[in-house]
Amino acid sequence: MFYFVETVFLDLLLPEFVLVLLNRWLWNPNSFIYLNHRWHAVASWTWDAQDETCGICRMAFDGCCPDCKLPGDDCPLIWGACNHAFHLHCILKWVNSQTSQAHCPMCRREWQFKE
Amino acid sequence: MTSSSATSRKALSKIASNRLQKELVEWQVNPPVGFKHKVTDNLQRWVIEVNGAPGTLYANETYQLQVDFPEHYPMEAPQVIFLPPAPLHPHIYSNGHICLDILYDSWSPAMTVSSVCISILSMLSSSTVKQRPEDNDRYVKNCRNGRSPKETRWWFHDDKV
Repeated sequence: MFYFVETVFLDLLLPEFVLVLLNRWLWNPNSFIYLNHRWHAVASWTWDAQDETCGICRMAFDGCCPDCKLPGDDCPLIWGACNHAFHLHCILKWVNSQTSQAHCPMCRREWQFKE
Repeated sequence: MTSSSATSRKALSKIASNRLQKELVEWQVNPPVGFKHKVTDNLQRWVIEVNGAPGTLYANETYQLQVDFPEHYPMEAPQVIFLPPAPLHPHIYSNGHICLDILYDSWSPAMTVSSVCISILSMLSSSTVKQRPEDNDRYVKNCRNGRSPKETRWWFHDDKV
């Protein structure tokens, strides 16, 4: 998953060769930075979960739950004491829908948020 | 006889339709062995053909499951019943209702249509006798007016079949 930063405004201000030099100086060309239609990847991130998709909504962890638009801090993952991860919004919907103590959807242990 | 509770007739929430579309695609790529989804444009009601597993009491028999999804699937279990004629089984009532804990109390949102189907086939396959539940007539009489099995207070006591 990459965050892209638009540099269109730089293109308008600076000639092409300056931009190329700027890129060479600023960034190691072998790193994860690459030029692509004036978009630069400046950082990468991934959630450190064992699965790639949320067991409740089946959407990718690197994406967001179906009720959100943007992945990242607004749609975080949360771990249970049993180490199973879900989108926070998804597990909250499950926990709140249960009349008694909710269980982990994966292992059925009592659901506790990991401290 | 297509009993469906009022709740299961409400339109699917966003998370529900999103997940069902994913499940449908996954089913098309990798359907559970012995099952066939009968294609309709209704995402909220699936009709699935079940073939009895070879070497079991239900070999060479075909039945139909009707799966209705509630608005808040997968936080709530789908309603799963056999369309008539329902297989003769100690946990399947003649009105198609299935006594299987994962369809009610033990539902988990991590389960899928596919995993539910496999559980039902496994339940059929482990049967040693083709008969109705002992309280079949009483139960079916109680369920007239199209009551959903999800409204039944089930009592799970036998984990052998």
